[in-house]
Amino acid sequence: MHEETATETSALVDATDQSSEEHRLVEEDVSRGLHYWIHPRVWLPPLVAFGLLALGWQLYAVHNRFIIPTVPQILTQLVDHPGLFWRNLLVTLQEAVVGASIGMLAAFVLAMGMCQVRLVERALMPLAVMINVTPIIAIAPVLVLAFGFGMTPKYIVTAVIVFFPFLINSLTGLRSSDPQAHDVFTTLHASKWEILLRLRLPSSLPFLFAAARICVPLSVVGAVVAEYVAPGKASGLGSLIETAMSLSDLKTVYASVLVLALLGIGLSAVVVVLQRRLLGWHQTAPRRP
Amino acid sequence: MGLDVLGVSKTFDTRKGRVAALRDVSLRVGRGRFVSLIGPTGCGKSTLLRIVAGLVEADGGTVSIFGEPPERATAAKHVGFVPQSPALLPWRTVLDNVRVPFQVNRKADSVLGRRFRDPVEVLESFGLGDVLHSRPDQLSGGMQQKVAIARAFVFDPSILLMDEPFSALDELTRERQRHELLDIWQSDQKTVLFVTHSVPEAVALSDAVVVMSAQPGRVRAVIPVNLPRPRGELVEATDVFHDLERRVRSELRVAWNDNHA
Repeated sequence: MHEETATETSALVDATDQSSEEHRLVEEDVSRGLHYWIHPRVWLPPLVAFGLLALGWQLYAVHNRFIIPTVPQILTQLVDHPGLFWRNLLVTLQEAVVGASIGMLAAFVLAMGMCQVRLVERALMPLAVMINVTPIIAIAPVLVLAFGFGMTPKYIVTAVIVFFPFLINSLTGLRSSDPQAHDVFTTLHASKWEILLRLRLPSSLPFLFAAARICVPLSVVGAVVAEYVAPGKASGLGSLIETAMSLSDLKTVYASVLVLALLGIGLSAVVVVLQRRLLGWHQTAPRRP
Repeated sequence: MGLDVLGVSKTFDTRKGRVAALRDVSLRVGRGRFVSLIGPTGCGKSTLLRIVAGLVEADGGTVSIFGEPPERATAAKHVGFVPQSPALLPWRTVLDNVRVPFQVNRKADSVLGRRFRDPVEVLESFGLGDVLHSRPDQLSGGMQQKVAIARAFVFDPSILLMDEPFSALDELTRERQRHELLDIWQSDQKTVLFVTHSVPEAVALSDAVVVMSAQPGRVRAVIPVNLPRPRGELVEATDVFHDLERRVRSELRVAWNDNHA
């Protein structure tokens, strides 16, 4: 009798093994990339949501032609002037990427310093807080006055806007390492630098990526704000909006907004892909639904 | 030669005032001996271990690890520490986790006559040969703890300090780990100071069990365990083993009553 139960249990175990095996295979299949996007359950729900939004927009726009352009009008604008939007997109992209890189790198280096030397934190954190609470839109015109109409003030505004969120997350991340792992390193007499490099830095990666997912879209905001106050050579999507607005060219305004949204989505997607590649070991690595 | 703790005291300042964690604690662990520290919560056994490991500084008294104070002993990589949780680096494979001791404080490695073990060989002897390239989160809790022990073994320290390494494991895994640790120890006979909550664990593993009582933490009794070695799993079924367990338990009861009288 005992034996019978044993066989049954083992059969049961076999069955679960098999189903988990299948599950794994499906997941692997899914993670193969293009394959994944073929499933309707993946692309259908967002498509329906966007479709409904566009429909609502269209219905409203048809009755308010002078305030809002219709969906076909916006799309036509894009198709008719691809060069115009592409050129300005590249400018804004460059401002966002360069500015965000400078801001995040500076924030991370400062966070390492703060983590290693308490005095650095005590001295510089109030300053960082002050920069953060000052509305960037208020500083931007002054920066233009100081640095001219070129790219520099745009990089600065973008860098400043991502600096603080990245600083706080980096610092939290560097301090998030397992205290017991820290004990192991200490009993090996590892230097502060070795602990930073081999324990703190890798431990902070999940926090850095969480911050990047906030900061990268934020950098587009920074770039557009800077273009608003310093149109410069009148390039960039922010400048384009500003100019089109003054000409009451609403089709161009909304088309630019759409391109900005797509730019944000594209940049965020790059972060997610990097996170998935580099952070497979961590539970916060994004999984596909 | 071995570990000598002489008159060590330690007080902590807490919000409720000063707490005497350890008062005038002395004990000795001879070379190649396995000694357990057991006692009620708050008796300072972990604090004592951390003082020996150089993680906490004592207020008074001396600690000598084969003639060196903790600071010098850790600087020379003479101390292997196994914390309560495995504390593995989740981004590294099992093998790379065990290589950590070779990647930090390299100055200590250049000393003449320094002996090292091959990480792969150590892991294989621990029965972890199949998971060398796995990530820690793919391993069971028991296996993770074994990796943590391997990490402390691999650089051949002169003393191993273990802080309740099996406390997070379920009872059955815990027993398995206990006997695997016995096997490992048998082949190597390292000097070990082992903190535990478990009476059978302390008796099965040790040459002597040090019972501590709390507030202030001090040594209540030292019970020698003269069970023959090597000890198999069957040793836990013998009368001698049960007698020793009873003795430790009764000392613990007295220690506990001391606190709550």
